[in-house]
Order: sequence, then structure tokens, then C-alpha cells
Amino acid sequence: MPEPLSNKLARLGALLEGARRIANRTTRFGAVARARLVASTRLSAEGVELALDAHLETDPGIEELELLCASVKDAPRAHVLLSANVFTGAHRALALALASSERVCVRPSRRDPEFVALLAEQCPGLFSIVARVEPEAGESVWAYGTDATLAELHASLPASVALHAYGGGLGLAVVDRSAAASDAELARAAERLAYDVVVFDQRGCLSPRAVLWVGDAGGARELAAALAEALESKQAEVPLGRLDDDELADVAVYRDAAAYAGELLVAGRGFVGVGVEPDRLVVPPIGRNLHVVPVRSLSETLDSVRDLVTALGVEVSPSLRAEFVALVPRARVTHLGAMQKPPFDGPVDRRARRY
Amino acid sequence: MTDDSTPEDAERLIVESDALHARVRAFATGSSGETFEALALRIARFQRRYAPGFARLVAVHRSALGSADDIPAVPAEVFRIARVAVHPAELDVASFETSGTTAVRAGVHAFRTLETYRALALALAEKALFGSVRGPCTVVALAPPPGALPRSSLGFMLRLFMDHFDARPPVFERGFDGPERFLCGPSGIDVARLFDVARLARERGEPLCVLATSFALVALLDALGGAPVPAPPATLVMQTGGFKGRAREVDAAELRAAVARTFGIGPESVVGEYGMTELTSQLYEDTGATRPTRAERFRFGVYCAPPWLRVVPVNPATLEPCRDGEVGIAKFIDLGNVDSAVAVITQDLVVRRGDGIELLGRRSGAPPRGCSLAVEGLLAGHA
Repeated sequence: MPEPLSNKLARLGALLEGARRIANRTTRFGAVARARLVASTRLSAEGVELALDAHLETDPGIEELELLCASVKDAPRAHVLLSANVFTGAHRALALALASSERVCVRPSRRDPEFVALLAEQCPGLFSIVARVEPEAGESVWAYGTDATLAELHASLPASVALHAYGGGLGLAVVDRSAAASDAELARAAERLAYDVVVFDQRGCLSPRAVLWVGDAGGARELAAALAEALESKQAEVPLGRLDDDELADVAVYRDAAAYAGELLVAGRGFVGVGVEPDRLVVPPIGRNLHVVPVRSLSETLDSVRDLVTALGVEVSPSLRAEFVALVPRARVTHLGAMQKPPFDGPVDRRARRY
Repeated sequence: MTDDSTPEDAERLIVESDALHARVRAFATGSSGETFEALALRIARFQRRYAPGFARLVAVHRSALGSADDIPAVPAEVFRIARVAVHPAELDVASFETSGTTAVRAGVHAFRTLETYRALALALAEKALFGSVRGPCTVVALAPPPGALPRSSLGFMLRLFMDHFDARPPVFERGFDGPERFLCGPSGIDVARLFDVARLARERGEPLCVLATSFALVALLDALGGAPVPAPPATLVMQTGGFKGRAREVDAAELRAAVARTFGIGPESVVGEYGMTELTSQLYEDTGATRPTRAERFRFGVYCAPPWLRVVPVNPATLEPCRDGEVGIAKFIDLGNVDSAVAVITQDLVVRRGDGIELLGRRSGAPPRGCSLAVEGLLAGHA
């Protein structure tokens, strides 16, 4: 017999209450939580604050919660395997598991366990933290990680375990001349897109990494200049967090490759590159980097990444928007500035691989 | 060259380029009084003048091109997303391609002339690979035939070595019917033909030289199932390339030992070659060819650059040269790359070992920390 919705909503309510306590900056616990998250997430203090303030779902509407509950199947026990995810991602992953079962086991990321620990402290008894994911037949697993990790996990699970696997994803922005007819409109679009970049330092699968510009070459350069300016200004408000040596190395490669292959603008502590050859999608590394890709053919540009696109931020004419959406039907589509705030209505990534 | 370049610009470019090629070839033969440093800087300034991409890179690094260390390196990935050449495409005489995948397009290294490539490759191979060979040598390759217009630099080099070091048409007995010495076809390694060539070399009383990729050697070992090849005593095997994307990887030392056993030769006669499409020059394992007792001096796994190629391990994040013993990524300053990029940086990890370098595999890129996609592959530009 299906579990009553009210039971599920009660568990979600407890989780949301815990999230609210973490997000509350006025309490001593809120301050401690911030310090712990700055240490574990590598975001700057301002980056953590922004994430808690504007991107941790603490008050979703009842419709969203009902949709979230409807997006999962009941399971005798649900397991969550987290990667070093965008830290607030653990919240939604837990919500999905709690919506499907009253018994939830979580194995946090070894590199970034803090947010789950904070939730556990605020929601005693709601879920258990475990060292290993060991599901039994008939149970569910919600797993986040690289494709290799997920494939390995799949191979190790009993056949009747339902695995919901979420690999890496990619956000893209799309802008055309209609959305940037004047300098002011262009600056506004750039400002909104810069915001999407800054949240979580592009570590999320919803984070935009490249902008597809549908228009003339001059427009691509204007957009790049506006983006560089917007990112520079955002750097002052929300500084880039810490990048490790490997991430810095990737940025060095992108900087030099983009400079050689097109144009490169310094954008605070990141870079905006402008491609010269149309439809050549280049995806820069995480941090504060964006590549502007002039687009002549939508399908050609998206051809090889279609299955990787998790989110699309659009600032284009309605007909163009429809064309894009048709090409990446499983991506979450929003306007710029809202790419990192999907409704709390189910998995963020709609491309889940179900085994 | 830019779109608004004039015919006079193109003419000037060719004159300057030809002069630089001649200087590099003279440098390689030791008949030039020029230093590596001076020639590298000449080429870099030439590339800054004619390759707008390189001029931008120099500007980004705020380099005055005052010393070879100041030459900013073009990431190898750029060969996949842009044309890396000072000259227009209509002047290309060859375009060598890197391996691509369905998702990531192949890189292209365009050449306006192959004269320097030939001169440098042969000058180095004569010393570093064939240095111990006295007299004629029977040369074959465990690789598919490259065709009339090779798309791979390796295919071009193998053909070059065959033509230069063994220009004779092979005199095959036992059913050999053509001059082809590329012993790899659609059905794999042609073991029967390899055996016949080995016997032919024995009958000729000369060494056999087998040029092979690592995975072709593994395929050969698999096909032989432990059986030896009846090769003459002074047989030489050149092994190149890794195992990227291949089904079976074999430890380098194990592979060397197995190949040596199979051909009945010492492990020092299996010589590693390192080359990449984005470079003109190669490196070979330090065979100690110029030293009196080769076997004793062979330094397994240590690759030496010729005088016209400099390999500098650099910190991947800062691109500053590493201290001795520190692992870095390989920055190559290759005087042979006159018309493309005199300095190229790869993601291959290296460490300096005396006057050589040891290759330690490939830097994999930052592991994803978050659900955003890892950058490897994507930066390279999609097909």
C-alpha cells in the first residue's frame, strides 16, 4: 500500500526546518555552519552566504513538494551516495530519498561531508549517515558522481535495486540580438548571466559554462565585453573561492587556448573567451570562466553535447527558445539569472540514468 | 596571416619562413654558429608577426620574447580548435591529424614544407635509433600503410625511415608479392609476413628493424602466444605511443621484456620513441648510442631531446619551470615548428632525469568537485 502523502510531507518538513536553521545567519549555529561550510566547500564566505541565502530551498510551496513526492517511487529503504557536489545539492538528494522512504541512509562525499553533517545535527533521527552504501533487494539508491563511479556502483548492486544515477552535467546560456537590442539590455543580460556563473563558482551542473550567441560576430564581442565587466564587478561582491592546483591548471590551459583561438578578456579572477569559428563549442573550466560561441547552426553546435546539457538559460526570441528546447528537451530551461534556482519539484537533473 | 594580408605579405612570409627553415636545418647539422636560444627567439618573433593567435598569447603573458623561457607555449589543445599556422591553408603540403573521437574533433598540424621534418627526423634517428647499426638494415613497421598522403605524422615518419634506412625493394621469397612493409592490416598483425621478413634479414646477414606502436606490439605478443620470432641477432625494435583508449594496457617494463624475449634480443634493443602530432621533432629513449658499451649505459624510460628540441617541465598552474626532480607538464620548444608553434605545452607529466626526461603519463585534469562536467575533452572543442 502506498505510503500516505502526509507522512512524506512531514519528513520533508523536518528536513526543511533543519535547512532553515542552517541558513539562519542570526543564530550562533548559523555562524558556525557558515564557517564549517567555507572550510569544506572551497567557496568564499560570501559565496557560502549567497548559496544559503538564495539557493538553499527552505520554503518551497506545497505544489512543489507534492510534485517532488510524485517524482519518486516508494521504497522500503532509500540510500543516497553523494559526490563532492554543490553543497546544497545534498538537501534535494535527501528530500528525494525521504519522499520515497522513511528509512534513509546517506553516504556523504568524503571531500565535502559538512552540509550533510549539519543537516544530521539539525534533523536527528531523520536519516542515518553511513560509511558504505549497501542496499538490499527492492531498495532504492540515489547516486551522484562521475560516470565511471556510477557504472561501478551499478555493477555492484543486486539486480532488483532501483538505481537513480546522476552524472556530470553542463549548463549553457543562449542570447540573441533580440534580447540585447540596446547597450542597456545587453548589460542586463550579462549581469544576470554573471550571477548564474558566480553562484557555486560554476561547480554545479546547472552552472553556465558557455554562452551561445545567435547573431553577428560584433555582437559576440560586445556580449563578451559586457560579461567580463559584469564578472569583474561580481568578483568584488562575491569573491571566487579557492581553486586547487588542478583547477588552476585547467584555467591556465583555457586562458591560453582561448587567447590563441579567438579573443580573451580578463573578467575579475576568471576569463571570457570569444570563439571565432561559428558552432565550435568550447567548455571552459570551473571558476569564473565563460566562452562565447557564435552560433550559425543550433543543431551543429549542440550536436555532441546534447546529452550533457542539464540547464539552459535563455534570453532569446520565443521562436529561437522553442528551437533550443526541442534540441535539449531534458534540460531545465529558465531565463538568465535563474539558472541556479530550479523549483523544488524533483531531481535538479532530469537526465537521470535509471537502471 | 590575417584576412587582410596582401600578396606581398604572403611573399615576405615565405621568404622569412624559408630562411628560418634553412637556419634550423643548419643548426641540426651543427654547421650554424647560432645558439638554440637565438634561433628559438627568431622563430617566436616571426610567429608573433604572422600568427595573430600567437601575438595575442604573447600579449596575455606580457612577454617581451627576451629569452627562450619567455616564449609562451601554445596548448596542444589549440590544434583542435583553431588553425595553428603562420601561413594560409592553400600553402599546406601536409596536414597531420591527432586522434579524435566522435565527440572531440581531431587536431591538425599543418605544414608548408616537410623538408625540415625529414631532415630533423632522419638526423636524430640515425644517432638515437640506428646508431648501433652498421651497414644495411631490413626495416618493417607493425602499423597500417599510411597511404600516399599520410594523415598521421607517425605514418609519415615510418615511411620516411623505410625509404631512408632501407631503400631497397624487399626481395621476398615464399609468396611475397609486393613492396609493402607495413605489416598490419584489417585483420591485425601479419605474423606470417613478419616471420618471412625476419628470415630474409637473417639470410641477408643484416639486422631487422621493427618500427611499432605499443599496442601493435601487444597484439603481436597476443598473436604469437609465446612463440619467438626468428629474428637476426642485432634486431632493433622502435616502440612508440601509449595505450590510450585501447582494451589492454601492459606495464612498460613487462612489455619491453616480452618483446625482447620474443625477438631474442636484449632489452636495450627495444627503444622507446616519443613524438606527437603537434611537434616536428621526436625524442628517443637514451640508448647511449654514442657511448662505448650501450647495454650498460641504456637508461630505460629516460628520453633525450635532440639539440633542436628543449623539454621543460613546468608547473601546470603557473607554467613556471619546475625545480629539478619536481614533476611538471611538458613544455616543448621545438625549432622544427617554424610555421606553427615553436613552443607547445601538453598535459603529459614529466620529470627531469639528468639530461633527459622521464614520462609519467598524462595529467587527467581536475577531478570534478561538484556535479559540473569535468573539463577534459570538452576544452578540446567538439566535433
